[in-house]
Amino acid sequence: MNLRDLQQDAGLIVTGAPQMGQDAAVPGGTEATLLLISKQGEIYAFSGKVEYGQGIRNGLALAIADELDTPIASVRVILGDTGLVPYDRGTTGSASTRTIGLQLRRAAATARRTLLALASERWGVPLAGLGIREGRIVQAGEPGRSLSFVEALQGRRLTVSIPEDAALKSPGEFQVMGRDAHRIDALARVTGQAKYSRDIAVPGMLHGKVLRPPSYGARLARLEKARAERVPGFVALVQEGDFVGVVAESEEGAEQAVASVYARWDEEREHPSDWDLPVQLKERAKELAVVRETGSLEAGFAQADRVISGLYFVPYVANAPMEPSAAVASWEDGGLTVWSGDRSPFGVRAQMAQAFGLGEERVRVIASEIGGSFGTKGAGGAAYEAARLAKAAGRPVRVAYSRQEEFIWGTVRPTALIEIRSGVKADGTIVAWEYTAYHANESEFRGMRGSDTPYSIPNVRVTVARTESPLRSGSYRSLGGAVNHFAREVHMDEIAAALERDPVELRLANLEHPRLRRVLTQAADKFGWGAPRRGLSVGRGVAIGYDAGSFLAECVELRVEGREVKVERVTAAFDGGLVLNPEGVRNQVEGSIVMGMGTALWETVEFGGGRPLNPSFSRYRVPRITDAPQIEVLLVGDPETPSTGAGEPGIVPIAAAISNAVYDATGVRIPELPIVPHLP
Amino acid sequence: MRLLVNGASYEVAVHPERTLLSVLRQELDLTGTKYGCGEGNCGACTVLVDGEATRACITPVVTAAGREVTTIEGLAKGETLHPVQAAFVEHTAFQCAYCTPGFIMSAVALLGRNARPSESDIRSALSGNICRCGAYVRILRAVKTAAEQLAQAEGKA
Repeated sequence: MNLRDLQQDAGLIVTGAPQMGQDAAVPGGTEATLLLISKQGEIYAFSGKVEYGQGIRNGLALAIADELDTPIASVRVILGDTGLVPYDRGTTGSASTRTIGLQLRRAAATARRTLLALASERWGVPLAGLGIREGRIVQAGEPGRSLSFVEALQGRRLTVSIPEDAALKSPGEFQVMGRDAHRIDALARVTGQAKYSRDIAVPGMLHGKVLRPPSYGARLARLEKARAERVPGFVALVQEGDFVGVVAESEEGAEQAVASVYARWDEEREHPSDWDLPVQLKERAKELAVVRETGSLEAGFAQADRVISGLYFVPYVANAPMEPSAAVASWEDGGLTVWSGDRSPFGVRAQMAQAFGLGEERVRVIASEIGGSFGTKGAGGAAYEAARLAKAAGRPVRVAYSRQEEFIWGTVRPTALIEIRSGVKADGTIVAWEYTAYHANESEFRGMRGSDTPYSIPNVRVTVARTESPLRSGSYRSLGGAVNHFAREVHMDEIAAALERDPVELRLANLEHPRLRRVLTQAADKFGWGAPRRGLSVGRGVAIGYDAGSFLAECVELRVEGREVKVERVTAAFDGGLVLNPEGVRNQVEGSIVMGMGTALWETVEFGGGRPLNPSFSRYRVPRITDAPQIEVLLVGDPETPSTGAGEPGIVPIAAAISNAVYDATGVRIPELPIVPHLP
Repeated sequence: MRLLVNGASYEVAVHPERTLLSVLRQELDLTGTKYGCGEGNCGACTVLVDGEATRACITPVVTAAGREVTTIEGLAKGETLHPVQAAFVEHTAFQCAYCTPGFIMSAVALLGRNARPSESDIRSALSGNICRCGAYVRILRAVKTAAEQLAQAEGKA
């Protein structure tokens, strides 16, 4: 399939800037084909987003079907194929629905208006009485009269640009949006038909495996390949500087060949380890960047009756998606095609073009289904390796990571050390807030997310520094958001404890933000915050949060049993404005809570000697079904407020809510993650 | 050696110690069974061998020879989904769904030996499967629904 053929075969093409954000600073991109109706009446929509579990294909299809009042089965959403779709930034920041989703709705609304205008002309009746039902144009009061989209187009080929005033349906007019529906990709997913990156095979394909150095930054000193060359099915060994890979007829052959290579490496002598990390984070920090400075800290602390200080630490955690990275690369006539499970196909295209000195038009990257990302699988390790090996072997090559490779050569959530000093009056009013965070990132940007306080405090200074990262740090659900929320929301609890105030009540006393007040009140009510305690080792904790434009609160009840914590139930109130797909949003919030539970209780990347030391699921404990609490998600957003992100916010309050509940159960404050190893 | 997979018989010439997972995926092109960890820790590769949930990534293919192997591709009868599959659709018991075939096969094995599982039976039968997207609450709900439906169907029969 290529775009030109689709355009040739189209009856109606709708073009526009690929995305329209609510943020005016975000450019919309170059005018491109966003939606088309083929001569057979199929509706194609195009987006550079990818599907890694969040349900975006489903969400976009629902929105288009609704705006066009057409059956969802006639909508085909083409995602992440750089040969077909426009560049609309990567799939990050829980932004798809509020940016590209909105623009595709406008594209569908434009198609609707064009089709109705054609029908009005053909029937010689005013536009006002026309509508669409089940994919057919109908006229009010004329039950016998209807036109399909194909009939309305009468063999024409029209191109329309989305007008400024494209009118969307209001929430009251939605037919499918806002209701619960099965995912359109569900069938392929429960029958094993969905194709993920390592399921892709092309004719003549070989298998590649990369020789991994024993530690980050190691340099290849000596290589002997004779033994590898004798492995049955061996095809080629590629050495380019420190990069060594083998290509073989089978996956096992490639594994065996790479294990048969003898290599000596020069390793760096000094490596930090997770033991000295908190100290290193501050000592090696770059300059502090100011996120916010309001009022005067000096004046604030002078008014305070109590000054409370806290130090918070969050270790590296692994994204560990269930599908380890994989890619297939194929060269033909000097051009490169890559099938990849990477979350940013355009990023991979740019990387390939640069690495191989090609024009971007010579590289096509096609996104497969992606078996989880949570922020890792950025511009392509596996894709680049497959392309290098395929080029050398002269045949297509697939590179598929082992679980250990994913743990070591994927990316991890940066660690952070955070200091908070607050000044509080005896009545519970917070009058001074000094927040200093050291995040192990290549830029301050990631660490800044969620660092500002949403509480109404007159004297505030929030600063964030970046620190060199000894591990390969990358994105993770909410970036630094969950980390900053952990520190702030545990500190809020420490204030409440110091003043012997109820944690919900103390937060409300310092909170003017109406949406946050609402989620906190609603979560606490539904949870039964005020109800009597159920036993000695049972604890309750609360935290609020904001992320990706959304607001939420989470209440947790858990039981501490010896050296284990059993989270029993979680109530979340989520305000993401207008909800287009409630089932999808609840699923995302639930998943974020479960993932965040892992970071709160058990997860930490141990490292030393320049590499992670626990790169397997037997040594890196993630949540399992035996750990899953009862979860209730209340969707409390106002439908008149624009949709905001849902994929990430659910994770931001949970670790603090759990730590606060552990304090409630045991009287021990654990300001350091993960909690379980630090239980008394 | 002879492999019986999803009711079909295959003669394969492979090293007996190759994993069942590798043979299913690479020789028989049945890619619905997934690689997740290669050491039996995550359950993504779960298939049924004579009805029993088996980690294909650590199972030498020779031990499955001549026995009945069922993979996710062999579960539906024509267009009709197995009740566990249908319940996963109904409850959207997945996000990325990479782990879904393994969860479904583990659940089918459980219901095969215990038609009326308690919630704790379900949790313990699925404790070897990891869903990193965290759809556990939905998976529990789906398996309960499937169990009820199977029990009802049995009652009628």
